[in-house]
Amino acid sequence: MNRLSSRVILRSFILLYLVAFFAYLFLPLLYMSAAAFNQSRFPATVPWQGFTLEWFDALLNDSMLWSSLGNSLLVGAGVVALSVPIGLNAALLLHLLQKRVRTLAYGVMVSPILMPGVILGISTLVFWRGFDVGGGWHLAVLAQTTFIASYCMMMFQARLQRLDPTWEEAALDLGASHFQVMRRIMLPFLAPTAIGAAVIAFLQSFENYNTTLFVYGSDRTLTIYLAGKVRVGLTPAVNALSVIFILLTVAAAVLFEWRRRAEARPAARPVPAKASLGRAAPVPAE
Amino acid sequence: MSIGESVHLENVTMRFGDFTAVDDVSLEIEAGEFFSFLGPSGCGKTTILRMISGFNEPSAGRVLIGGRDMRGSGPNRRPTALIFQNLALFPLMPVWENVAFGLEMRGMARSARRRRAEELLDLVALGNAGDKRVADLSGGQRQRVAIARALAVEPKVMLLDEPLSALDLKLRQHMRAELRAIQKRTGVTFIYITHDQGEALTMSDRIAVMSRGRLEQVARPDAVYNEPATPFAASFVGEANIFQGRVVGLSAEEVEIETDLGRMRARNGGDLRQGDRAMLFVRPERSSIALGGDGGRIEAELVEMEFEGSFINLRLRAPNRQPIMVQMANDGGLGEMARMASVPVSFAARAAIALPEGELAHQ
Ligand SMILES: Nc1ncnc2c1ncn2[C@@H]1O[C@H](COP(=O)(O)OP(=O)(O)OP(=O)(O)O)[C@@H](O)[C@H]1O
Ligand SMILES: [Mg+2]
Repeated sequence: MNRLSSRVILRSFILLYLVAFFAYLFLPLLYMSAAAFNQSRFPATVPWQGFTLEWFDALLNDSMLWSSLGNSLLVGAGVVALSVPIGLNAALLLHLLQKRVRTLAYGVMVSPILMPGVILGISTLVFWRGFDVGGGWHLAVLAQTTFIASYCMMMFQARLQRLDPTWEEAALDLGASHFQVMRRIMLPFLAPTAIGAAVIAFLQSFENYNTTLFVYGSDRTLTIYLAGKVRVGLTPAVNALSVIFILLTVAAAVLFEWRRRAEARPAARPVPAKASLGRAAPVPAE
Repeated sequence: MSIGESVHLENVTMRFGDFTAVDDVSLEIEAGEFFSFLGPSGCGKTTILRMISGFNEPSAGRVLIGGRDMRGSGPNRRPTALIFQNLALFPLMPVWENVAFGLEMRGMARSARRRRAEELLDLVALGNAGDKRVADLSGGQRQRVAIARALAVEPKVMLLDEPLSALDLKLRQHMRAELRAIQKRTGVTFIYITHDQGEALTMSDRIAVMSRGRLEQVARPDAVYNEPATPFAASFVGEANIFQGRVVGLSAEEVEIETDLGRMRARNGGDLRQGDRAMLFVRPERSSIALGGDGGRIEAELVEMEFEGSFINLRLRAPNRQPIMVQMANDGGLGEMARMASVPVSFAARAAIALPEGELAHQ
């Protein structure tokens, strides 16, 4: 077989793979989205019973859904407010510890991620009942934070591993106090990660069901509300909601990418060849 | 600008677990001196610097700066500024903020800081780079930013840890002169670390040659080269032909040594006595192709000639197969030598130095 034809085969194989990959990712989304515009009483695309916007109308009038969405946002904000600082402090603590102690402490800190969410939820409920605190959005925040803070910690820790320890020493040598090192060197270095951690924390909270199930009290979050609807009968209004979320996500991603490119452009001029020489201080990528 | 202060090391030892990185080092570095530590990788140079700057406390002994005992003072309370092996510039700050960092930590107002940073950048010939990002600078420019940043805090003692090792040869030579000039202009004590002997010889007022955590010799560059105190110093700094043997004769200043290649004579560099095992060192440029020479004479076989323009390096082999090097001025008489089967190598006793047998540097 000659070289050319084997390359053609390889290329068509890759093409086929890509098509299959994206079909796997997006066909369910398209199928579910189409259901939002179907006149059928159930979330389905076949049989197609005609185009309609009535499910968006139904969605708009579902006041329970909107209040549960409000609760989800509230819980998400609370989780971000707690998890990011806790994760940051945990990572900084690990950074200070001796290597052997660090491994142990790290194990303890990531264990909530490995634990089934159900257990975290039940434990939180049982623990706070001892103080006469019942379920509600505040308890949902606490329960979710137990494991989401670990995710944040891991993100900060990954970033700290790229911190050049000589920056800290250089700052001390130039007369900085430990507090000044933190404010002027460490925190600016960790700031981009804090934003990333906040986004991840929010998304984790928003989609959480297992843990929240036991602690929401009467403040139903969106996932709890939707799960409840499965039992009494789902309508394509749920699909309409999905369409809105998909559109929002795509819009956010496009906006983010567009801004990123706009920012990257002025800095993209060529760096002098010597800048890459040898052991110069590593420059973190954004 | 600030004037330098002296640095005294008194029996300083540094242990990491049961490994001794610096072993009982005593040394007086004078105020305003350009002092270099020279030694192979891992001999404890950085460790000494970190003890002077306060990042490590010595396991035993004292560090005094300007006569004051520094025990218990952290790096932010010592009148020293360290230039790190990797420079450690802050990548998230523009150049001028890097330079002004120490002033910011001291609470100087922003506009005053900016002005001072510009002055210092002028001093290191980077007048218009204040607003650039560190990542956009060349290696030599970063080097100078690191120097300006250290000078900003008006240190009494500047500590430099192989600051030129990441630069290419040309830039390195340029920066040597520049560093030396800055030191002269400011009067700050410079303590410079390098494993590059050329750097140490050309820049320093004095050099400490180190091996395995110990001082081998502390002396002026010419003395280190011409009067090495130990076999390590003699073999680490510059090239040398080395002959081993036993002392068989002693006179006022000279010793006679019985070697595999016959008897040789040299200055007595280390209290050698009758019967001692000794090593004789003679530099290639002080050996010659001639019959005379009261130090020693070897009939050697010519292996290779390296023509370098103004001088010529000859690589030869002694009857016992030991390699010998001779460097001679180019006097135009090359062709004749190439035809000779064996060449007489000789040297004057004054040109050679004999030391008690000891460890050599691996090169
Ligand atoms: N914190 C430490 N813990 C254990 N050993 C150390 C520590 N710091 C240095 N050492 C050891 O001490 C010895 C001297 O190290 P040092 O960094 O002073 O060498 P150096 O002369 O600066 O070498 P180089 O030219 O490679 O920089 C080395 O063997 C090193 O492994
Ligand atoms: Mg070193």
